Amino acid sequence: MSQVTAENRSPWAEKFASMRPENITLPAGSGSGVGNGLIGVGAVCTGLAFASPLIMPGVSLGHPLASFHVGAMSVLACCMGAIFFLLIFSLVNAGWTATIRRQFENIASLIWIPIVMVGVVLAVEVINKGVMFRWMGENPAENYLLGKKSPYLNIPRFVVFAVVYAAVWLALSRLLVGYSQRLDETGDKAYAAKIRTLAPVGMICFAFTLAFASFDWLMSQDIIFFSTMWPVYFLAGCAFTSLTTVVMIFAALRLRGKLQGVVTEEHFHDLGKLLFGFTCFWAYIAFFQYFLIWYANIPEETAWFLARSRDGWEHFFPILAFGHFVIPFLILIFRPIKRNPRFLLAFCGLLILMQLLDVFWVVRPVVYAGQPADKVPGITASWIDVVAIAGAVAIFAGFLIKKVASGPLVPLNDPRMGESLKHKNYV
Amino acid sequence: MTTVKQFVNEKGEPIYGIMAEFATPAAIYHAAEKLRDQGFTHWDVYAPFPIHGIDEAMGIRRTRLPLIVGSAACVGVVAGYLLQWYGSNIGYKLVTQGKPYGEFGGAGGWESFVPIMFELGVLFAAFATLIGMLALNGLPRHHHPLLSKERFLRVSDDRFVICVEAADPKFDHKATRTLLESLGGTHIDLVEDQ
Repeated sequence: MSQVTAENRSPWAEKFASMRPENITLPAGSGSGVGNGLIGVGAVCTGLAFASPLIMPGVSLGHPLASFHVGAMSVLACCMGAIFFLLIFSLVNAGWTATIRRQFENIASLIWIPIVMVGVVLAVEVINKGVMFRWMGENPAENYLLGKKSPYLNIPRFVVFAVVYAAVWLALSRLLVGYSQRLDETGDKAYAAKIRTLAPVGMICFAFTLAFASFDWLMSQDIIFFSTMWPVYFLAGCAFTSLTTVVMIFAALRLRGKLQGVVTEEHFHDLGKLLFGFTCFWAYIAFFQYFLIWYANIPEETAWFLARSRDGWEHFFPILAFGHFVIPFLILIFRPIKRNPRFLLAFCGLLILMQLLDVFWVVRPVVYAGQPADKVPGITASWIDVVAIAGAVAIFAGFLIKKVASGPLVPLNDPRMGESLKHKNYV
Repeated sequence: MTTVKQFVNEKGEPIYGIMAEFATPAAIYHAAEKLRDQGFTHWDVYAPFPIHGIDEAMGIRRTRLPLIVGSAACVGVVAGYLLQWYGSNIGYKLVTQGKPYGEFGGAGGWESFVPIMFELGVLFAAFATLIGMLALNGLPRHHHPLLSKERFLRVSDDRFVICVEAADPKFDHKATRTLLESLGGTHIDLVEDQ
């Protein structure tokens, strides 16, 4: 039985037959089995990963911690990307996005999950005085560069800023999602206007917190390294991750027979264009960050890339160059592919994997850096990476599936719904 | 052996086609759909502004321009690579900035080749877009037979015109005139080919 109640009956249903309740809601209780299962699997994986230093000789706490950080930061990127798109859609008053907003909101409303995950990682770091973040345990008086950077790189500032980021993001997601839900319930168009008023302010707060969070939680793992392109690099990953996730949600819903005539080939086409654009954007940012550092050849900067271009990490260069850019570029450039939900569902799964590999290549080399080769547990310990990353991703995926199934799949009362339902690409 | 049919007006001058006027976008949209369904191929719709969906109503296929642009971009990228490969490997081999020779034969590695390859790809694609668009549209041209029709000039103001060309295999003096009349066209007139 569909959850056809007075609450999820849309006024637009009178004008558009596709907005009938059974087309825009999932049956009651659907997804809870898969969702709970994924959360359970994720919890077991995470537990297993963090137990590994106890049961495997030579494995340090940093190993599962860094891998879990990869998963947590990727999940964070997904939520931040969703907030980014909600703000952008409202800033430019994009009418065609009315039917796809709700799934971005669903992802954004789960921002508490990555905040908890990253919070756990950072708590372990602070308590242990730096496992991956070595500056936490070093004496600024003994390290010249750290001495110069210590006004910024110190634990009290680090903790206070982390709390501020979390507060800003929770506030942004609660406001964006809350206004939209009240718009659903009351039909009062003032809430649509409130979102638009929030957007410019929210975007400024978003930009600063995202930039500094990427400095704090990714870049500062290397005391010496710095890159002014770093926040943009992270933002490219955020937008990319959230887009692939949203495309997968809609493709899965369409294949289940929902949202027929609501999220159409035209919406997939535009989401595909955005995906194509952010594939290129990621490649542009990732390459030129590397390129300028390579060209300038300043030791403080090149050391970071040097550590990531040997000991096996060099294989990530061609994998990411082709898997994250060249192949998606050549595939997504074709119009029929962008309009094919079934293909996009499978392809976006691959793209998410590439994004995880990208973050993995950034974060994971920190562990065992500078240790003799015979002290480093090599391929035998790589199952820890798999379960730790899969743990974080599965927990998030489980909550997300339950969240998607819990309510209407599209906004019911959005004033721009008509425009979005009739949306068409004329080119 | 196919004979080319030559249509002439009363004075014996060759004609370009036959034009009909419509008052609203909706009227011309539906007329276009009917003409498309009749199988006409050499005809066009003239309007003061773009009409959404008119290309579908006319049965126009998607443009081949993206293929041309994509090919030109690939040529540009390869040209950019060859240009630098020749310059830094054969023309004037030079070590700069103390960087080693790269795997792909550049002075200092393949990395420095990328911006030029990217830029030349964009440049070739941009030129191919402009030139290809003009060529596919048959532009530039100095004159069009329709421009010598006084009533046709209102197409830049408040009228919508369909012109079926004599080059169309299904074109016929009388039948086409009757068809355009039945579609609601007014001021139907022969257009001299001059």
